[in-house]
Amino acid sequence: MSVSSEVAAEALAAPHPSGRFFARSEFGSDPARACHSLIRRLPAGTDAAALRDNLAALMERHPALHGTLLFHEALDVDAGDRAAHRHRSRESGRAVNGAPAPARAVLLSYADGAADLVLVAHRRAMDRRALDQLATALTDPAHPVTLPEAAADWSAQHDGPPELAWGLGDPARAGRAGTAVLTSTAVSDGTAPAVALAATALVLARYGATEHAEFALITGGPAAGDTHRSVALPAGEAALAADLLDAAAHAGATGGEAPSGIPAVGVLLTEKRDGDVYRPVLAPPFPVTVAWQYGTDGTDGTDGTDGTLSGVLHYDEGVLDPVIAGQFAGHVARVVDALVQAPAGARVGDIELVDAEEAAAVIAAGRTPAEGDAVIAPVHELFRKVAAGRPDAPALSDPEHTLSYAELDARSDAVAGALRDHGVAPGDRVGVCLDRTAELVISLLGVVKAGAAYVPMDVTYPAERLLHTVSDSGARLVLSSAEDFPAADGVTVVHPSELSRTADGPIADPGGSADDIAYVIYTSGSTGRPKGVAVPHRNVGALLAATTADLGLGPEDTWALFHSSAFDFSVWEIWGALLTGGHLVVVPYFVSRSPEDFHDLLVRHRVTVLSQTPSAFAMLKEVDLRRTADLAVRLVVFGGEPLDVRMLQDWFRGHPHTRCRVVNMYGITETTVHVTSQTVTPQDIGAGSRSVGRALPGWSVSVRDTAGGVQPFGVPGEIYVGGAGVASHYLNQEELTAARFVHDPVTGERVYRSGDLGRLRPDGRLDHLGRIDGQVKVRGFRIELGEIRSVLLEDQNVTAAAVVLGGDADDAAQVRLDAYVVPRYEAVSVAEIRERAARYLPDYMVPATFTLLSELPLTVNGKVDTSGLEPAAEATPAEAAGRPTDDPVLRVWREVLGKDVGPDDDFFVFGGNSLLAVRLSGALRRAGLPPVSLRELYVYPTAAEVSALLAAREATEDPGGHPAT
Amino acid sequence: MGLRDKTVVITGAARGIGRACAVRAAEEGADVVLIDIGGDVPEVPYALGSASQLEQTARLCRKNGASVLVATADVRSRAAVTAAVTAAVDRFGRIDALINNAGVGAPSGKATHDFTEEEWRVMLDVNLSGPWHLISAVAPVMVAQRAGSIVNVASTAGLVGYRHFAGYVASKHGLVGLTKAAALDYAPLNIRVNALCPGPVRDDPAVDGQMTAVVADALGIGYEEQEAVYLESVATDSLVDPADVAGAAIWLAGDDSLKVTGTVIPVDAGFSAR
Repeated sequence: MSVSSEVAAEALAAPHPSGRFFARSEFGSDPARACHSLIRRLPAGTDAAALRDNLAALMERHPALHGTLLFHEALDVDAGDRAAHRHRSRESGRAVNGAPAPARAVLLSYADGAADLVLVAHRRAMDRRALDQLATALTDPAHPVTLPEAAADWSAQHDGPPELAWGLGDPARAGRAGTAVLTSTAVSDGTAPAVALAATALVLARYGATEHAEFALITGGPAAGDTHRSVALPAGEAALAADLLDAAAHAGATGGEAPSGIPAVGVLLTEKRDGDVYRPVLAPPFPVTVAWQYGTDGTDGTDGTDGTLSGVLHYDEGVLDPVIAGQFAGHVARVVDALVQAPAGARVGDIELVDAEEAAAVIAAGRTPAEGDAVIAPVHELFRKVAAGRPDAPALSDPEHTLSYAELDARSDAVAGALRDHGVAPGDRVGVCLDRTAELVISLLGVVKAGAAYVPMDVTYPAERLLHTVSDSGARLVLSSAEDFPAADGVTVVHPSELSRTADGPIADPGGSADDIAYVIYTSGSTGRPKGVAVPHRNVGALLAATTADLGLGPEDTWALFHSSAFDFSVWEIWGALLTGGHLVVVPYFVSRSPEDFHDLLVRHRVTVLSQTPSAFAMLKEVDLRRTADLAVRLVVFGGEPLDVRMLQDWFRGHPHTRCRVVNMYGITETTVHVTSQTVTPQDIGAGSRSVGRALPGWSVSVRDTAGGVQPFGVPGEIYVGGAGVASHYLNQEELTAARFVHDPVTGERVYRSGDLGRLRPDGRLDHLGRIDGQVKVRGFRIELGEIRSVLLEDQNVTAAAVVLGGDADDAAQVRLDAYVVPRYEAVSVAEIRERAARYLPDYMVPATFTLLSELPLTVNGKVDTSGLEPAAEATPAEAAGRPTDDPVLRVWREVLGKDVGPDDDFFVFGGNSLLAVRLSGALRRAGLPPVSLRELYVYPTAAEVSALLAAREATEDPGGHPAT
Repeated sequence: MGLRDKTVVITGAARGIGRACAVRAAEEGADVVLIDIGGDVPEVPYALGSASQLEQTARLCRKNGASVLVATADVRSRAAVTAAVTAAVDRFGRIDALINNAGVGAPSGKATHDFTEEEWRVMLDVNLSGPWHLISAVAPVMVAQRAGSIVNVASTAGLVGYRHFAGYVASKHGLVGLTKAAALDYAPLNIRVNALCPGPVRDDPAVDGQMTAVVADALGIGYEEQEAVYLESVATDSLVDPADVAGAAIWLAGDDSLKVTGTVIPVDAGFSAR
């Protein structure tokens, strides 16, 4: 027995391997991977004793054969009997379990006198040629046997293979083997191996989006020793098919080293010999094994001019989904035919992988038809209908007011009327920059009732950004309660309190069409300035039509308006509530920054529909786990950033998914908040699902290659979104609009090119795999790194800049933006650069670190080589830092920041951010310190200041000290 | 063909429940490794499985299309068991299931303090250490495979006590405990361990079964009398057949019971329902 008890002990001591590729089958140690077998018909009457003698003689001659086993099974059926066939198949499929037995020989003798020899050997001990020779030598001991000196042995390599980006394997099914027939076709004699390798390489290159298909190759034939090496074939679109075939023809004979570790994909290329039944492997040697066999013209006189090529795909379901396997096999078969028929001069790019029929099927899988008749009406008309139906029901609350639907309708009418009095006309844009109170929602509704589009701006945005937004949007009027809203020529800033209107009663609707723009939301733009996304009214109606029935949205629901109106998640919250008769509770900004206070609010208002970014939810969940108060939440909608479903493990324990549904939604501002929806259940956690679900009814998703061609299922590419949510355009950005909102020649539709990387599953669900370009998400905020870089480059003191995502990607609170800057003069300080950047960028876009360099490392292509950047220079704590401290506040400071900062060091300069501020606040509470509101932390960002604040508060015995929010 | 292409090791395969399991496994498409002592043990007052009975089981299995490996081994000997398992792996390359069936019902029939040291020891050695030896030899194979099913044939004496059967009852209770502990050890590696607790089993001549006779002898009563006592104790109007036990064992050995591990299943005609 080759498995030592130490191995077993080690395996038992190892952590539970579920979820990993090797969970169910220890791939590296499965002897069947490294064994091959041969069945040879023996002369009638061959008896076991003769074989035994011959074997003994052979072992004498070749000590390496020592330990070879010989068994005899006398079967009471004829050789042609089905039972005999089953015995042959079973014997030829049994692995030898390694040392000390290099091979096993089984003599099957049948009732009719016929006999078969079944030889199974470990490749380490015997290659194809040796196996063939041994079969002969067992009946003819004088026949030479050449044993390999150092045979290909990949079985010792235990490392897990890289995940196959297009495989869609299910880790829970790891260890289950599947097969798919690739093709079986006549190929001109002699070219079969090249065609097989070239076809495999071409499909792998397309699936993997590479020019050079790399894979492990094992070859073996009766005439020569086995080889095992890594090969790379030129399968880029521009390559000549003939060159690819030529390279493939030589790949088996020459080429690289044996691969290290088990690659995900390997090719097995073996030659058939007439008479024998040869099994090149008993279990696939690679997670995905493309096993080719080709026929020779034979030694038995058959004068074949045509050889045959047959292939089988063996795969592990942990790595490759059966549907994807079938698709891959179909593509390989198609390419084999194409290569055989390729005219001279044909290019690899001319060979089509996905034909029109298949493309149509993939497109159809990503499309969800709209349900029923879509409601096509402006948002305010939809609202008025709801309000008329339930005038006395609560519509909108903030800490100070609750408005009924009738009151909200009237108040927003008044705003609309007053806006008209101020000269706002249908089609205008109106800026709205208000704190999160009921007034904000009244104003937004008033703007659309006036026939205008609202342009939301967050009150915390820096002046330069506000100015840009106002001027870019062409708004001539801005609703703001801020005293210091930056003035611009020709722009009137109006305080909402000035919008009282003398005339009472409903105003006439502006009419207008569902195609009018309802709102313009600015998102990060790589050019250095945010870009305005213009979204028509009809999209909002379509979004609600697509989700109301499935999510059961209705008058019984209470929604929290948690997000800034400048973030389009708020579109979902506001109109989701108000267009379905629900009750919208406005969450004040500082409550939204405190998970404790927000939890209180959820409990107090019995909120039922909660929309969150995963980052924000993670903190709320921590609070919820510590509390006993019952949430009334029945629906959690995730959006804004990728969801790591593992986070939900403990949430589900307290909130079973049968009582509180959890829905992960993928969406983009340009496609009206949401695109897909995936209900998450505890089962998804184990699978580590990355699925964002199917397209919403009326929406469609597809995944494309760089030329816009439809990618097969599983193959990553750019996500295209079509259907009811596609926005109108980018304001004042015709070129960008034309580049992103495109006419899709495949479907004839207008689609949005998302710039997101994804793959479509055969069931129509989409996996979101990140960004193609430099866009990143930090704590739920969508950020173009290019925008930050542009702002830095506009600084006269800066000659070059790069911005990268740094910190700990696995911890939302530790993710940070690192800036690398080449200053124009030596005297330029980080503080100056940071200060200027903060004037243009919202807080969440200001890099956490600034590193000054004399030059940026560049790649050969002249791009910034981000991998060559040194670790970010973190701010140096002041002199007092590092000393032990008695100050409990400073101790908490150091614990949360993980740095020995001094009492006068600014929290936000030393890596602090909004999430860490929340952690700091919680840590202060847990340290038994009096509560410090988040607003206070922003105002007093050093430990010394907070200590002083607490001391002062104690002196005046002010128990709370919360400024009014 | 629930065990198609699987390899099943059965101890105590010469006759009785062991033979019933072996033949059933062959019918279900498995290749079988048949282990039996093939000889007697001085402390055991009745004849144990013989080499010819073992060969008869092998014949029945071959008739059903199985390849068969026969090994003579006393389960009390760790070395003999390890050699048999090594031979099994040499021949078949893997082991998918182990049916730990070998056991003795006597020496019994006396009060707890009346057993001799040797009598006590032989009972525990065969019925408890034997299965442990088999598990110890087979587990490394199954661990490497990340797959396997172990079925321990215990007894209702692993669930309740019987007068004058202290050694037997203790060993079978021990086997039930071994089952649960081993199940926990191997569950993360996709290896399952379960116990069957056969109730009063009829002596089926088709498998040379004789356990009821052994019990009757131990208690100094006749076979018919013992059978009547048994019939009194069960809920059905007939006793358990070896084939009934084999049916449960084959289910546990195969993939139909994929999520069943650490369980103790009585096959006792309703005996333990009372």
